[in-house]
Amino acid sequence: MNTKRVFFITVLLTAALFCIALFGVKIGSYEIKGADQMRYGIDIRGGVEATYAPKDLGRAPTENELEAARTIIETRMDAKNITDRDVTIDKNNGKILVRFPWKSDEANFDAQKAVSELGETARLTFRDPQGNIILGGSDITKSYARLNSNGNDPVVVLELSDQGAEKFAEATGRLIGQTINIYMDETLISWPTVGTQITNGNAQIEHLGSLEAASSLANKINSGSLPFSLVANNCNIISPTLGSGALDVMVMAGKLAFILVCLFMLVYYRLPGLVACIALTLQVTGQLLALSVPQFTLTLPGIAGLILSVGMGVDANVIVSERIKEELKSGKTLMRAIDTGFEKAFSSVFDGNITVIIVAVILMILGSGSMLSFGYTLLCGVIMNFVAGVTASRLMIRSLANFKSLRRPQFFGAGRAVQ
Amino acid sequence: MIKFYEHRNIFFTISICLILLGFLAAFINGIQLDIQFAGGSIIKYSYSSPINAEQAEKIVEQAVGKTTNCQLQSNTIKNEKMLIVSLASHEALSSQEQEAVTAALTHAYPAAHLKLSESLTVEPFIGQHFFTNGILAIALSFMLILFYVGFRFRNIGGLSAGTTAIIALFHDMLMVTAVFIVFKIPLNDSFIAAVLTIIGFSINDTIVIYDRIRENQRLLGRKVSAAELVDLSINQSMMRSINTNLAVFMSIAVVYVFAQIYDMASIRSFALPMMFGTISGCYSTICIAGPLWTMWQNHKNKTQIA
Repeated sequence: MNTKRVFFITVLLTAALFCIALFGVKIGSYEIKGADQMRYGIDIRGGVEATYAPKDLGRAPTENELEAARTIIETRMDAKNITDRDVTIDKNNGKILVRFPWKSDEANFDAQKAVSELGETARLTFRDPQGNIILGGSDITKSYARLNSNGNDPVVVLELSDQGAEKFAEATGRLIGQTINIYMDETLISWPTVGTQITNGNAQIEHLGSLEAASSLANKINSGSLPFSLVANNCNIISPTLGSGALDVMVMAGKLAFILVCLFMLVYYRLPGLVACIALTLQVTGQLLALSVPQFTLTLPGIAGLILSVGMGVDANVIVSERIKEELKSGKTLMRAIDTGFEKAFSSVFDGNITVIIVAVILMILGSGSMLSFGYTLLCGVIMNFVAGVTASRLMIRSLANFKSLRRPQFFGAGRAVQ
Repeated sequence: MIKFYEHRNIFFTISICLILLGFLAAFINGIQLDIQFAGGSIIKYSYSSPINAEQAEKIVEQAVGKTTNCQLQSNTIKNEKMLIVSLASHEALSSQEQEAVTAALTHAYPAAHLKLSESLTVEPFIGQHFFTNGILAIALSFMLILFYVGFRFRNIGGLSAGTTAIIALFHDMLMVTAVFIVFKIPLNDSFIAAVLTIIGFSINDTIVIYDRIRENQRLLGRKVSAAELVDLSINQSMMRSINTNLAVFMSIAVVYVFAQIYDMASIRSFALPMMFGTISGCYSTICIAGPLWTMWQNHKNKTQIA
């Protein structure tokens, strides 16, 4: 195979991938989102990040209680039309982590109020069609989802307290054929029709379609008897105007840093410097794709990590270029110098990258919030460095060395003395 | 060729002086923990017409009954004025109290068009948890790096290489910490990230030099003294050390300049220590780790002969 072509193939491939990373691509149902559709953290697009814990509860909350609490939060967010959200349970620490964006078109959105409201105790009510309250959350002892006795219809089972059973018997007696509306706060969550009078305090809501729908409803009903309200003991609110300005600044800083590093490499290392610039482009492309393909959240420190790894990324090229220069000066032919240069440089590049991987992974595991993104971009940078700074660079330099006109030592920064 | 080993005492003195300076600054300035680690609340509002900070302080104190500190800040480039309300660790605000603060201030300054720009509240026990995690992260990194370097360089005395590398890392960590203290930047997760990045990167330099020592040892055998071996290796790889650090320094300096101009505190407080850390990382490798390793080897040889 003509190795001269390798250089151009690598350049074209890098350019193509770079365009994909920048503008995105869509093939059938598969889509890679472009750089402008990154999933940004709340420090960039604005939003709320809060950790809720039970208020004044003398013990750790159970998993079921946390599930119920999550249901309350999600139902309320549905009511507020916040769909792009992230609600996760931290079982070990008994906490619920909530993250949602504050969109720039919601100028009047009161984020502080939203944080308070999400944590309030849920008010669950069963109401008759006239709006009179039949049952409250405390009247229900337990609610769970299961398949009915025939095994083909998902249902929610309600177990009522003695007092609740009494009230429910009265209500179902007078409401046969009518609906009972179940509300969480002021959100209607279910409206079953009464089939028969229920006197024993064991009711069933039928025809819920799927088991998931049934357990979701059961969770919502359980949340009505949750014995605590939630309090945000860690909360960060960032307005959208603050964040978007910061993004532009960081992107600008990134472009400038990239250009400066490339200029430096070109001026100082000539041909290997050019290769370093292409390798650097490939590295950044890989990092962008590693962010956009899994839609990994990118924060401001994450962008700083990306810029930092641009600086760190040329290390491999610097080591190799210095080595090639040295080997040329010691009288080796160009091809031999390139090969020895790469071989001798590999172990230092490898060791150096491994230690950065160690700290990046530790940052991802133990770092809080926005630092996760920093660890991730750093990690991707180092991994891509093996692909771009080491492998692709070697292929490109070897390929370029096949061009007679480029085979001058001064192109490799080694002066005129040797060949 | 620069004789690093011969001049080691100058380098050691410089480093020790700088580290002492850091301790002195810690003594004078104290070490400030950010809200993220210490707990507390900070709320920032943008506003348009004049506000009196002391008066605002009283309004907030009346609204929530907690000791408050209010400050005004303006940024000419973004044409923005900020009112910053902060409360100490044991006074962290609940979200309801935050609403009360906003309501009271809006009521008192209807013409100022107060708008919530940013708020952060951390309960002290959560902050403590973050802080412990951060320290744990640093300790764990040190251990893993020591282990890795020791393992990779068992040929040139794994223990000596690992230990001297870790001393150089401590040096860098102290330098980064000193920058935070001297510039009065409160420690937060940027601190942890800066320290981890610098030690991950600085060890990189040290490894390159040790790698060179390993290679030269193979080439030259026992013909040369440890001092000559180290000086030769450092000089050979010095251009690489300087150039790589220059590239990293450039990229982080650009970030710092932009963060400074556009007043992005979170990024600035992270980029500035990182800039110093890069220099320290380069210095500690060339001027500290190499000479220390030589001293260790010389000492070992002496005891063997005796």
